[in-house]
Amino acid sequence: MARIWQVLTSGMSKYIIVRLLQIVLVLYLYMTLVFIILEAQPGDITDIYVGNPKITPEAREAIIKQLGLDKPLHERYLNYLKNFVTGHLGCSFKWGNIREVPDPVCREQRPTWDLIKERLPRTVLLFLTYTIISFYIGFFLGKLIAWRRGAIIEYFSTVVGVVLFTVFTPWFALLLVWIFAVNLGIVPIGGFINPDNWRVVERVGTVSRDMGVSLSNVVFNYILMWLGGLTLVWGVIYLVSQRFPYAWQRRVARWGSVCIGLLAMGAFFGGAWPGSADQAVIASETRFNFFLWQLEFPAGTIPLFPLALDFVQHMILPILTLTLISFAGTMLLMRNTMLETMREDYVMAAKAKGLPDQVVRDKHAARNALLPVVTSLIFAIAFSVDGGVFTETIFSWPGMGKLLLESAIEQDYPVAIGTLVFTGIFALVAHLIADILYAFLDPRIRYD
Amino acid sequence: MTTSTSYPVLQVEHLTMHYTTRKGVVKAVEDVSFSLNKGEALGLVGESGCGKTSVALTILRLLPENAQFLGGHVYFFRDGSDEAHVRRALGKPVKILLNGREHQGRLLEVNRAQLVLETQLNGRSQQIKLGRSDITHLGVDLTALSDEEMRPIRWKGISMIFQAAMNSLNPVYKVGDQLIEAIQTHMPLSLPEARERVAQLFQLVGLDRQLMDRYPHEYSGGMKQRAVIAMALACDPDIIIADEPTTALDVIVQDKILREMRQIQKKLNMSMIYISHDIAVIAEVADRVGVMYAGSLVEFGPSEPIFKSPIHPYTKALMSAFPSIKGEKVKLTALPGEPPDLIKPPSGCRFHPRCPYATEICEREVPQFIEHKPNQYAACWNPLT
Repeated sequence: MARIWQVLTSGMSKYIIVRLLQIVLVLYLYMTLVFIILEAQPGDITDIYVGNPKITPEAREAIIKQLGLDKPLHERYLNYLKNFVTGHLGCSFKWGNIREVPDPVCREQRPTWDLIKERLPRTVLLFLTYTIISFYIGFFLGKLIAWRRGAIIEYFSTVVGVVLFTVFTPWFALLLVWIFAVNLGIVPIGGFINPDNWRVVERVGTVSRDMGVSLSNVVFNYILMWLGGLTLVWGVIYLVSQRFPYAWQRRVARWGSVCIGLLAMGAFFGGAWPGSADQAVIASETRFNFFLWQLEFPAGTIPLFPLALDFVQHMILPILTLTLISFAGTMLLMRNTMLETMREDYVMAAKAKGLPDQVVRDKHAARNALLPVVTSLIFAIAFSVDGGVFTETIFSWPGMGKLLLESAIEQDYPVAIGTLVFTGIFALVAHLIADILYAFLDPRIRYD
Repeated sequence: MTTSTSYPVLQVEHLTMHYTTRKGVVKAVEDVSFSLNKGEALGLVGESGCGKTSVALTILRLLPENAQFLGGHVYFFRDGSDEAHVRRALGKPVKILLNGREHQGRLLEVNRAQLVLETQLNGRSQQIKLGRSDITHLGVDLTALSDEEMRPIRWKGISMIFQAAMNSLNPVYKVGDQLIEAIQTHMPLSLPEARERVAQLFQLVGLDRQLMDRYPHEYSGGMKQRAVIAMALACDPDIIIADEPTTALDVIVQDKILREMRQIQKKLNMSMIYISHDIAVIAEVADRVGVMYAGSLVEFGPSEPIFKSPIHPYTKALMSAFPSIKGEKVKLTALPGEPPDLIKPPSGCRFHPRCPYATEICEREVPQFIEHKPNQYAACWNPLT
């Protein structure tokens, strides 16, 4: 017991605990603020019924009463807080229940959490992919143009990057849609799936609606889980490869990537979704279906590869747009910090040690320039949960950003608040993760 | 300058290097020549900004992008049996010392039995063939090498202790790993072998071997200095250039480290170039001394005679500006004026505006760098005797 106490109160753990307490406090303030701001808007969701001859004033009153909008503000606020502590983000005013057994709190309405559960994976998929691609390109280019200062590539990428960085996002997005989707027709105009391809999912059987989302969503999330898992394995391979001598690093990373690629192909070509309704059964059975040698789909299953291809195809245009618009930020940040570290004596010393140019650049100069870039990466990842309201609207990507916009416009407060609070939690936790990551990236930083 | 017992490992000839800046061209190194013998400690001394560090960086070819190398040769000598060294020298200007004679030219051909050298004699080019086994001192001109050819020479041939030792360790890697990195780049050692070597080096410079798994910020200033010295020794280099190795340390630690460096150098029979503005440091460690002023060498010779009876007035002025720890009490005299602006250096002898012995010729003509006393060279119109 004393030992546990000692660990908890020493250095890093103590710091994390203190920070977690701070996060709780900040989150409470943030939540309150969001609640007040949204409640301060005039009117409520029933305003759309004003002037609708089918809804009498009495019926409107009944709706108001049903939604609890007749109660005073403080009562609703306390109610919201109470639900929040029990892990319930409230009930949508607009969306109806789709579960077989309704949520005990929401009954006829759909819980906000179910909506987030449905939208979040889509947004995370799009924005996380874009964030990683954009940062990788920015990091790589920034490193390169700092190292070869004054080369043509510096002028070219700086001018192009800054022009795209400052361009008005919706205009540029529409331009790309016009070029690639309308004129060339090589990518879909919008949306995140082609419903025709997904009918096969619904035909297989019904999923227990108690999960709060449709079977298509469950399958979609399942594919995502696989993609995420493989990416994670790739990341681990990459990190492990860093421990090898330099000559081996690239080889290990390359072969690791090939293996992961093969595994992914195998998983999606050979993998299938059994028509079982129970999630637990699904998880345990399909895992064994995901090996290369099981190429036959069991009866009543869905081949996953065409489905994966379907939404990947829909992702191309938004990711292209977002990456083009934002890579310059990382690039210039990286360039500037890199130029600073390149002046450091240890870079000169590394050169004097006779290390290959690439090692001096990557291991000594770029490694030390990484810190600010990692900070901005962590925040970019954190804010990938709220999605871009602009982007999602233009590409009709039904994610968190679109959910937030729609619910705010239609005064579906619980959903709007829920989305914002959820984003807030991510931002706060990301702060903490960034701080902890610092300690690993820079051994000089210690929290004690 | 070579005698039969000592032979050179490095010969610098007529080195000239300028920096291009926005204000103009900084004439940082102007016609500097010296040689370094095996097992010898050479001191380069002079005020800050007189081009000492620039000389070192020119030798190692680590100059920043705005530097312009304008001429001169840096011959780096190794044994003719070193296959990699001979291969590197192929097609490059070389200098070969054979039976007390110097052969200078371009190496045309190398085979198992002989080297073919193209030399210029009285304006005519001729080829000489030299027996392969006779060649013990083959010097290759480092300024003619490509970056990739230069890489194996860095640290394995010539290593350096940088001016700010504190900053020449990368803060994000463990100190031991930074040494291992250098060792594994140049020597075919496995990781455990390299670690063992680092442990031995740490012991040599007086550091605990446990410290190799610590980060630089966990070291004290003196410890960092020792670690940097260990790093310079890591690949068993022929030459170490120590650029202000102890300037950042307090006097007590400084003295201790200098003495230890001197011991290590004697023990390993290494050649060293010490660079310092502190004439006391140079006096303590150097066998021979070069005094630099405003980008050129003004005096060069064995340290004893130079400090006892300097020829150049600048050397004398420099010495009287530093306190002596052991000698009798003398009043310190500061050198009047400031080091000249190297963008527009004074005409003639660059020291003449500050020189108490300056005459009219000093203003007009650059003095020749000649032998005034046996082995004691200086560039002065009015040498002190």
